[in-house]
Amino acid sequence: MTKVKMTVNGKAVTREVSGETLLSEFLREDLRLTGTHIGCDTSQCGACVVHIDGKAVKSCTTLAAATDGAEVTTIEGLANGDLHPMQAAFKEHHGLQCGFCTPGMIMSGVDMVNRYKAEGREVTAEAVRHELEGNICRCTGYHNIVKAVQDAATKM
Amino acid sequence: MANGATGIGARVKRKEDKRFITGKGKYTDDVRMENQAYAAFVRSPHAHANVKSIDKSAALAMEGVVDVLDGHQLTGDGIGNIICGWAVASKDGSPMNMGAWSALATQKVRYVGDAVAVVIADTQALARIAAEAVEVEYEELPAVVKADKALTKSAPEIHDNAPGNLIYNWEIGDAAKADAGLAAAKHITEMEITNNRVSPNPMEPRSAVATYDEAEEHYTLYTTSQNPHVARLVLSAFYNVAPEHKLRVIAPDVGGGFGAKIYIYPEEITCLWASMKTNRSVKWTSDRSEAFITDAHGRDHISTAKMGFDENGKITGFKVDTIANLGAYMSLFSSSVPTYLYATLLSGQYDIQNLHANVRAVYTNTVPVDAYRGAGRPEACYLIERMMETAAREMGMKPAELRARNFVREFPHETPVIMTYDSGDFDANLAQAEEAADVAGFPARQAEAAKRGKLRGLGYSCYIEACGIAPSAAVGGLGAGVGLWESAEVRVNPVGTIEILTGSHSHGQGHETTFAQIVAERFDLPLDNVAIVHGDTDKVQFGMGTYGSRSGAVGMSAIVKAMDKVEAKVRKIAAHQLEASEDDIVIEGGEVKVAGTDKALGWHEIGLAAYTAHNLPPEMEPGLKESAFYDPSNFTFPAGCYICEVEVDPDTGTTEVVQFTASDDFGTIINPMIVEGQVHGGLAQGIGQAMMEQVIYDDDGQLITGSYMDYTMPRAADLPFYSVHHASTVCPGNPLGMKGCGEAGAIGSPPAVINAITDAIGNNNLSMPATPQNVWNALQAVTASQAAE
Amino acid sequence: MDMTGEHTIAAPREAVWAALNDVEVLKLCIPGCEEIEQTSPTTMEAKVVQKIGPVKAKFSGAIELQNIDAPNSYTIQGEGNGGVAGFAKGGADVSLEETPEGTILRYEAHAQIGGKLARLGSRLIDATAKKLAAKFFDNFQEHLNGPEQPEEG
Repeated sequence: MTKVKMTVNGKAVTREVSGETLLSEFLREDLRLTGTHIGCDTSQCGACVVHIDGKAVKSCTTLAAATDGAEVTTIEGLANGDLHPMQAAFKEHHGLQCGFCTPGMIMSGVDMVNRYKAEGREVTAEAVRHELEGNICRCTGYHNIVKAVQDAATKM
Repeated sequence: MANGATGIGARVKRKEDKRFITGKGKYTDDVRMENQAYAAFVRSPHAHANVKSIDKSAALAMEGVVDVLDGHQLTGDGIGNIICGWAVASKDGSPMNMGAWSALATQKVRYVGDAVAVVIADTQALARIAAEAVEVEYEELPAVVKADKALTKSAPEIHDNAPGNLIYNWEIGDAAKADAGLAAAKHITEMEITNNRVSPNPMEPRSAVATYDEAEEHYTLYTTSQNPHVARLVLSAFYNVAPEHKLRVIAPDVGGGFGAKIYIYPEEITCLWASMKTNRSVKWTSDRSEAFITDAHGRDHISTAKMGFDENGKITGFKVDTIANLGAYMSLFSSSVPTYLYATLLSGQYDIQNLHANVRAVYTNTVPVDAYRGAGRPEACYLIERMMETAAREMGMKPAELRARNFVREFPHETPVIMTYDSGDFDANLAQAEEAADVAGFPARQAEAAKRGKLRGLGYSCYIEACGIAPSAAVGGLGAGVGLWESAEVRVNPVGTIEILTGSHSHGQGHETTFAQIVAERFDLPLDNVAIVHGDTDKVQFGMGTYGSRSGAVGMSAIVKAMDKVEAKVRKIAAHQLEASEDDIVIEGGEVKVAGTDKALGWHEIGLAAYTAHNLPPEMEPGLKESAFYDPSNFTFPAGCYICEVEVDPDTGTTEVVQFTASDDFGTIINPMIVEGQVHGGLAQGIGQAMMEQVIYDDDGQLITGSYMDYTMPRAADLPFYSVHHASTVCPGNPLGMKGCGEAGAIGSPPAVINAITDAIGNNNLSMPATPQNVWNALQAVTASQAAE
Repeated sequence: MDMTGEHTIAAPREAVWAALNDVEVLKLCIPGCEEIEQTSPTTMEAKVVQKIGPVKAKFSGAIELQNIDAPNSYTIQGEGNGGVAGFAKGGADVSLEETPEGTILRYEAHAQIGGKLARLGSRLIDATAKKLAAKFFDNFQEHLNGPEQPEEG
């Protein structure tokens, strides 16, 4: 067991974890932050995406012990009170159906828009589709997800 | 009573979204019980083998292992075999050959993934490690994976009671008439058509948490189900887990279903039974690899078809012979999919007088196959629409013209395959789609693409499907083991808010919004005053769940029936208290009024009056809560026209869907935003099946597409924005005039895609999935045949 | 999965044959072999650790030599159980031909994998098998000849 200290959604967290504990497990089982979902076992589906130090990361392929000292944000901590513009856009554009892939989609979407804004690049539909390569949705056919991310980009 | 902002036809944003976008949804794997243990299954790595022995000693010796249980213990405790609930008889009258399926195999395993034992341990990791330590000795047997091969003499027999692996040999229609029709034809189109095996892949893997209360002898099961009441019924009546009043099934938030979560699988049964055996809550959550070898697969048909036409392009006869692969065991509705959900739709949108279909269903050493989004109807649609497009090309006609010459235009229309189409305007859908897709401008786009070295093609699909699957008496006559009605309860609380309890289940369809919309409209109340309750057998009296696009046409109709009763009582109470005639009462703006006067009661005052019961009409019972069961009079028949446009890179075979246009007739639409979302998702799954998805087994029965590294599903970059339109006719069969929209996209799209690609490459001989390799090979065949000429 | 190959080993046929029948040599040469034990003149028990794609498994299994025609040829059959990872089994017909340059070893091998290995690793099995075969013969050649020039093809 290793002691890890990190900040999760703005709160300091200290826990003993075994070396093989994945961050996704740690968030779901130890911290009971069940908004981070697990949809595959080969790191393809992206339902588990969280932010580590502001960058989108698949928490199912990250060891909890490796995030010692990091600042982790999950879907539960994305907004303070009000909805984050990305969350609001997903609702506005019907960018979700069953909701299972949604937390990962939103976290990936936020990261993408942040990067594009920082680099001064336009968030085109093509760019959104390309950037969401690592997030699978089986319900929406992506149409409304792409629209939601583009709309959120104008509000972030 | 128009309620423009939130009523029928309004694009209301979903009430359920907030919990999902903030990570507060509650799915089965999010449930954690006190004293919870975890299950891991020991599964066969062989496709076909005798189980010689199971050595549990090493696993049992591990610290933290609660127990290791096997099939002999399970059957010893009287747990029944898993059954198929729809009896389909062969044409000679003999019953279907249903092989025994125990939740844990005792003698023989029949597919890779067949479970032989379960380990219950304190943690999930430990359960999985201990499952590795269970030593099973197998005696391998030869395996068969392809449906046509399963029927050959040399194929190994999978179930003792299914000689030659044949489950049934079934037919519908009139063979002699079809033959005569073909004999009289001027032109005959003949094709071999396969419908590829796919895996549904809802993003949430299946999960179950079972708890046994020893004192009450009562079980609670949280599970990823599309139909918790059906699960309870089957678990009680057939699997003998517990009587219904001792079993509560809860399907909380469910992350997609697409058919895969209709059935009651070995894992749920085992978890319930294990919770009793170990006196612990038992949780099992599938990982994706396990989902590929346990979730029922879909499709997998091999067909030959002949369609004859007269000199005017009118269909004279149509004959189909299909072999359907049902996998190693018969799953819950498996028998109905290639028969009553498939062959009954083979008339398509066309007036075909002479039609015959023969269907043989077979066992193979593969995962059981059952309904997947569309269930039988996509297979029918793909077959007819590939035939129509190919026939048009062979006869030198425009594909749209050939279809239009054969459209059904008078309703009701009885087909030779027992369906009675009740409504539709196929010309309207075709015209709308052609205009929206700018078919007229296609030659210019094709020429422009050619300049860029791309082959551009356009393909049609005019689909019709049957939803609702009813009435119960009719489907009972066809062999269904259940009734296919729906139930609802409308509870007006003393403060006037309303709860709707429904047997439908929402796992992405947005019922919490659309069901509330019809109530808000009816009683002219704010949407926020209405809550939908579903997914818990202790809360909702009964239900048949959500599949077959039935929640609107059947589930909502039950709510309407219950609302009729509530309204009748409200009128009586208001008339009594306001001293008016019931006929003069109007419900409007949150009030119950006497027309033409200023006499009114607030809706909340009516609610309160019903429960205080201080001043009710004589003989009236207190309370304001009504329930109803709705059993439709017929199937509903959504239909439409889809047009796909593709560009193929001839050097690589890579195909891009550049435009996809849909014109659907869903009858009345409650919330266009949600309906469009359903179409988008269905189209994505249909395009996925057409272009990339395929479950592949090797000849030994090993599944070699068992992860997202190998089984390709559409990503965002693989798909276009869709152009979705509606040209509706009202369904005469239910009070709201609804037809259903959940499956249309997946049903109608595959033939449109393949028709477009075959148009682009000039070769009709192309099978799904149209991977770059398959398309490239088809292109090379064209080049080779041109060189030979 | 089928695979054929041919290697020229700079050693007399008898020496090559003896090495092919020596469990200590086999243990050194089989990639990932942790244990090998002779259970009869023609059978062995072995434990081998292998990684195919994302799946790492410890196989324990039996090896049997059949059709022995010393020092010309034999068939080597093996079957390994990798627990939850699945199983692997296969065999190879091996023949030796004496030439002036040494001994030509030819093999015709076939292999089958099952379970999780097949689901996750089947795309990689051909490449992995080729790699393992190459590694085996590298080791084998090195054992008989000492370190040699890089292998052909």
